[in-house]
Amino acid sequence: MVVSAPMIDVRNLRKSYGTLEVLKDVTFGVGKGEVVVVLGPSGSGKSTLLRCINHLEDYEGGEIRIDGVTAGYKIGSNGRRAHSEAVNARLREQVGMVFQSFNLFPHRTALENVMMGPVHVRRVPRAEARELARGLLAKVGLAAKADQYPAKLSGGQQQRVAIARALAMQPKVMLFDEVTSALDPELVGEVLRVIRQLAQEGMTMIIVTHEIHFARDVADRIIFMDNGVIVEEGAPEHILANASSDRLRLFLRRFQGDYLAT
Amino acid sequence: MLPVLTGSLPYLLKGAVVTLTLSAAVVGLGTLLGVALGILATTRSRLAGSFVTGYIFVLRGIPVLVVMFLGYYAFPAFGLRVSAYAAVGLAQIVYVGAFVAEITRSAILAVPAGQIAAARSLGMRRAAILSQVILPQAARIAIPPLLNSALTAVKQTSYASVVGVWELTYAAREVVERTLAAFQIFLGVMAIYFLICYPLSLAARWSERRLAFAH
Repeated sequence: MVVSAPMIDVRNLRKSYGTLEVLKDVTFGVGKGEVVVVLGPSGSGKSTLLRCINHLEDYEGGEIRIDGVTAGYKIGSNGRRAHSEAVNARLREQVGMVFQSFNLFPHRTALENVMMGPVHVRRVPRAEARELARGLLAKVGLAAKADQYPAKLSGGQQQRVAIARALAMQPKVMLFDEVTSALDPELVGEVLRVIRQLAQEGMTMIIVTHEIHFARDVADRIIFMDNGVIVEEGAPEHILANASSDRLRLFLRRFQGDYLAT
Repeated sequence: MLPVLTGSLPYLLKGAVVTLTLSAAVVGLGTLLGVALGILATTRSRLAGSFVTGYIFVLRGIPVLVVMFLGYYAFPAFGLRVSAYAAVGLAQIVYVGAFVAEITRSAILAVPAGQIAAARSLGMRRAAILSQVILPQAARIAIPPLLNSALTAVKQTSYASVVGVWELTYAAREVVERTLAAFQIFLGVMAIYFLICYPLSLAARWSERRLAFAH
């Protein structure tokens, strides 16, 4: 475990949609190279948490820091001030995100999708970006699909391109938002393999998932959320075997039931 | 066959050249104006948004003929002398702009929110998101209705004859008054309008294919 200043530092995060409080005073940190898996029932605030961390979503209270840099707001002596869009964009360059619904650009080939960030954000020359993108597609096992449009790819392939696209920005952290939930069961493995490889390479990651076996394998730490609060957190073998809260026990039983059924 | 038509064809074709010029100006500038307004309507500026919405709302509820009359009489009302040609052209540009603005606005809004979230998550700035992600996808959605609007605009230039702008329809009416061969002449005029519109249809189909990506 890492003891130095955390790579991702979330303190007292509060977020609501109108009167609905989605995140209630959430505090946790992720060390450099650490892999944190967030478990929890739907509507527990997991996805919102990720979207707040790269400031795709605004939040009402608390503080988020990525490698020391505040996300969304600057906290000063006279309250908090919103960062400009440009400052937030600079932050997002450091934070890769992969979505449940892939969100590949349908009018661009797999290769062009991966080149998008380097060319249009980092201003890398096209030839160089193309080499970088080819390398990343090879890394996710899709070198042969470089010139295909997303619609021609399976869900698992699309999601691997999406991971390559996020990696192309050479982010300091990666956020995975239920990236296998929209996939056919037989395609889940190929995506998880890529994520596992990233974990082994020391990428700092927050992974929101329902794949409990995968969580146990890959996580350094598991956070269980329900109703906008962190209910439990700890090492996977500990937390999954000896859940101390009823809510987590109930959650695990439901999912293990699913596994038995399939 | 059709001796009257054959005889007056050169005269009609001269009118067709005017119609073509007027159409090019109205479709070109009207589309440009409309696309700009449509993009403006989707920016975060509330003021710009309500301005464009109001503009679309008002003009959509007025017949193009009335807009043209307004355009035609507006300049003299302010003591300005502008040719009928320019006044009518301007009125039609403003009119077409409203329809194109609505097409553009709705096409931009039809681009899924996940696309914008993905682009933002890469750190892309607003201008890059618009030019690289939103507009290419919106263009594909907008092309069929834009073609429709362009074809309507071309045909609407024939109304200009009502306020004395000499173009194809005006020329045809002159020939009919002289020769009384209304059926022949308008058959010819029909063919000419079709020939003007046909390349537009072809161009639209070509660009649709060019922008196409498998879905």
